[in-house]
Amino acid sequence: MARIGVFVCHCGENIGRTVDCEAVANACGELPGVVHAVDYKYMCSDPGQNLIKEAIAEKNLTGVVVAACSPHMHEKTFRKATEGAGLNPYLCEMTNIREQCSWIHEDRDAATAKAIDLTRFISEKIKRNSPLAPISISLERRALVIGGGISGLQAALDMADGGREVVLVEKQPSIGGHMSRLSETFPTLDCSQCILTPRMVEVHQHPRIKLLTYSEIESVDGYIGNFSVKIRKKARGVDETRCNGCGECQSVCPMKKIPSEFDAGLGNRTAIYVPFPQAVPNIPVIDRENCLRIKGMQKKKAKAACGRCAEACGRDAIDFEQEDTFVTEKVGAIVVATGYQLYSIGKEQTRKGITGYGEYGYGTVPDVIDGMQFERIASASGPSGGEIVRPSDGKVPKRVVFLQCIGSREPSKGIEYCSKLCCMYVAKHTMLYRHKVHDGEAIVFYMDIRAGGKGYDEFVRRAIEEDGAKYIRGRVSSIQREGEKVRLTGFDTLSGEQMEIDADMVVLATAMQAQPGIESLAQKLSVSYDGHGFINEAHPKLRPVDTNTAGVFVAGACQAPRDIPDSVAMASATASKVLGMFSKERLEREPTVAGVDKVTCSGCFHCERACPYGAVERYEVLNRSGEVEKVIAEVNEGVCQGCGSCQVACPSKSIELEGFTDAQIFAAINAL
Amino acid sequence: MRELQELSSKLLSEGDVSVVIGYEEGPRGVRPAFIRTPEETNRLVFDHRAVQNLAVYLSPRRAHLRKRGRPAVVIKGCDARAVAGLLRESQISRDDVVLIGVRCGGVYRDPESNGPLSEENVADRCTGCDLREPGHVDHLVGELPSEPPATDRRKSRIAGIEAMSPEERFDFWSSELERCIRCHACREVCPMCVCERCVCEKTDPSWVESSPHLRGALAWQITHALHLAGRCSDCGECERACPAGIPLSLIKGKVNQVVEDRFDYRAGDDPDVPSPLGDFRLEDDQEFIK
Amino acid sequence: MNEATAARPSSEGEAFEPRIVAFVCNWCTYTGADLAGTSRIQMAPNVRIVRLPCTGRIDPLFVVKAFERGADGVIVSGCHPGDCHYTAGNYHARRRFAVFRETLSFLGIDLDRLTFSWVSASEGRKWSEIVNETTARVRELGPFTSYRDLVDEG
Repeated sequence: MARIGVFVCHCGENIGRTVDCEAVANACGELPGVVHAVDYKYMCSDPGQNLIKEAIAEKNLTGVVVAACSPHMHEKTFRKATEGAGLNPYLCEMTNIREQCSWIHEDRDAATAKAIDLTRFISEKIKRNSPLAPISISLERRALVIGGGISGLQAALDMADGGREVVLVEKQPSIGGHMSRLSETFPTLDCSQCILTPRMVEVHQHPRIKLLTYSEIESVDGYIGNFSVKIRKKARGVDETRCNGCGECQSVCPMKKIPSEFDAGLGNRTAIYVPFPQAVPNIPVIDRENCLRIKGMQKKKAKAACGRCAEACGRDAIDFEQEDTFVTEKVGAIVVATGYQLYSIGKEQTRKGITGYGEYGYGTVPDVIDGMQFERIASASGPSGGEIVRPSDGKVPKRVVFLQCIGSREPSKGIEYCSKLCCMYVAKHTMLYRHKVHDGEAIVFYMDIRAGGKGYDEFVRRAIEEDGAKYIRGRVSSIQREGEKVRLTGFDTLSGEQMEIDADMVVLATAMQAQPGIESLAQKLSVSYDGHGFINEAHPKLRPVDTNTAGVFVAGACQAPRDIPDSVAMASATASKVLGMFSKERLEREPTVAGVDKVTCSGCFHCERACPYGAVERYEVLNRSGEVEKVIAEVNEGVCQGCGSCQVACPSKSIELEGFTDAQIFAAINAL
Repeated sequence: MRELQELSSKLLSEGDVSVVIGYEEGPRGVRPAFIRTPEETNRLVFDHRAVQNLAVYLSPRRAHLRKRGRPAVVIKGCDARAVAGLLRESQISRDDVVLIGVRCGGVYRDPESNGPLSEENVADRCTGCDLREPGHVDHLVGELPSEPPATDRRKSRIAGIEAMSPEERFDFWSSELERCIRCHACREVCPMCVCERCVCEKTDPSWVESSPHLRGALAWQITHALHLAGRCSDCGECERACPAGIPLSLIKGKVNQVVEDRFDYRAGDDPDVPSPLGDFRLEDDQEFIK
Repeated sequence: MNEATAARPSSEGEAFEPRIVAFVCNWCTYTGADLAGTSRIQMAPNVRIVRLPCTGRIDPLFVVKAFERGADGVIVSGCHPGDCHYTAGNYHARRRFAVFRETLSFLGIDLDRLTFSWVSASEGRKWSEIVNETTARVRELGPFTSYRDLVDEG
């Protein structure tokens, strides 16, 4: 039999002023199953809580109803008190007679009647409450970081420094990401390589970081605390354990004219190559598309076409026959830090619904380049050794025009968002240019200047005021070759003038886009992504680095366009989330999760469709001879977040959310 | 007919299936037949009287039928919707059943009818049927007959009810549902009622009261209609089975219409096209939400 | 119905005061209703809130049962699209309730007795308006006698 105690709080005068608390207690004392009902000035005070504890002990209560403020305010308090008295905390519920009664009504009778009603609902509901114990799930206290750009490096280092093992997976042959390609960084103009390279080395040498470069995520199984991730290690053609990074192989490779991806096509590389001198690990990779030997093997030529690298290698590290291998890593948490790609200006697009700018002649008019190419030109380690020269003839450009918002904020091209950092890097470019070409002219076409951030607006001002960049508000409608010049036709929207400028070089500040293939990774992780392919955060304000899949976090530009400080901050935030999660031996989850009635479930899996978290799994019921009798739903308690959408979807009501079971809600409605 | 009989005979004699579920002559029109030997296949018939939705016999609720081995089932295009539903909801697996699709020129409302199809005797669902030739079947038999005559009988009845005031509608349905004896024939005959235990039989709590009074009858019909939203194959068997003659297919027809209007969806014969309930779009209409 | 505490007019003469049940989600509307309280926004005392985790957990059968138990009106309210604590519960609910209300209407339940709303945690004012409007509308419609008569027969 239920033995319910009802405790009515006056909250000083907050409740007592409009609700007759004594009358509420008296009325509730008459309710079936209620064996104890009192009112008190401050239930949340120590003496108030003691009233509850004493009553539990003396009256042997099976349920506690506290009629007081909002459960958001004090449910934890009263559940703790209940637990302190030896009763399961989930046998305590609150009735909200303050925020939703006394504070919003003046009529004392009506408010009192309402308070009694609300308390009656809950006292009926609580008779159906079950004692619940927190769900404890095992926890693999290792983390996986996907992406070895600045975000991934930061997250990995923070977690490894925090004492946890980290597996870092990078799909390129080297870690470092886009940041390793930048010349200087805003707003301080410190050299990107100088601040990044030490971090890369630190990651490489960290005893708790397992680095898997040239690798991709094949599949992800499991759930928070217990992910099992299969990783494909792509065939490098070079035995990592033997190679000592001497570089002999590169120097003998006959394929010397392959455009370097790292230098954005402005420099060349060989077929066996290290992407850039500071690459980590400093181990070459064979480009299978361009290696003569491998192409020969693919065509099944009898005679080996080449093999100079293998001959040159003193360590016998070259392995043309190498194949992709797989490793499986068990981890408890995953940080997604896959970064971005630059918007493609031309026709070729990796995302649906996006079009390029044919009118800007990128790829056809020489000396029209994108921002990343400018970074490489300006970089001391770039193809021109840091001298600002234009690609077509190696001359120093005397007039460079920079166009902002290429792709960004252009719904007609398929991208309506602001890429956020182009304003800053264009200002940086003008400064780098002016610092090296003192008599050069830097002209910027912009739509708006968005320089929110510490020291950012000052930086743009410096570009204009100290370094003399000329900013024109307007758009350029076409770019054409005019002799050795590049002719831009545009419009100054402030003066209303049509403009024609002959430049030596044009730099297009392209938008940031989600990585190609991010959808497939997101699906493997069952995290959601927006229409642009950016990973969705669990809550835009309060949970910006969580995803909707427990145990999977997001950092950097794969979530939205991010600059370096933002990316690093996010990365550290994910690390702090993961380390917090890993601070315990096992994970404890709220027990308010769904469970399936195995007898009545007919396996229609409506619940599976309704679940936002993919928590519903398929469970095979076997008969005595071990054959599958039927396949029914099962809820993974580690994944379920307790929304209850499954329960409404279930036609036979065979799935129940603890804490809000049908029996509980039915009882409350029945008390109407 | 001969084609159907020969195919069935072949399937049975080659051991592909152990039973063919089709139609045979019965005391009132045609009735479902369970043919187990090649010799019996000459009993199989198919014509305008074949109103029954035989997909109902594939439901896992009828485990006793399943135990008799792999069936072949004769289905019309409209029945194919129900089969697709069962496949979609993991209730049967495609390999467990052989589907014999028949090209259909429409059926009567009542299997006892005879004569050519007319506006008066044709089943409501045949009007505008886009599945006269069922897809996703293993075998397809018969010639495609001409289109059945159209009727707007159900449409106009639904429109008539919609034109009433809420009170009139409530009175109308009260007077209809008052006759409900909660025999649940509508459920038993429904191919999409696949629950092992119907919510009506759940006692703790008992959302749908099971005794035969208006309150429970109303709750049950609301529940059945909602459970069928986006799943109903529109076979009309619920209404045909109702001993009290309650026009249940008006409710189902209305809900199907709502689903079609709002989500541009009609249950089809393709099991890979998911139902819109259980899914959503960010831009779904929400004109009714303040 | 509990006779002792019914806000309804017991009988003769007294003005009709509707009983309204609100099924709300914990994260947005319940918190919004709390905010209305902390902001001391006065509103009609006719609404009794039942708290659920998410609109996705609000079963159409709750509404049916509320009417069966004598509610004159029902409010269903949750997070605005995009705000759902569970990312998608409200979207599922939106489809379910879209079909549900038209079904109810077809069976003769006056949709003026039902309010669906999105009320965020910051919309205490909007919550009070939803409560007041619904109360006024249902008061206008009068007691839900047709449904209650079914109950009496049962």
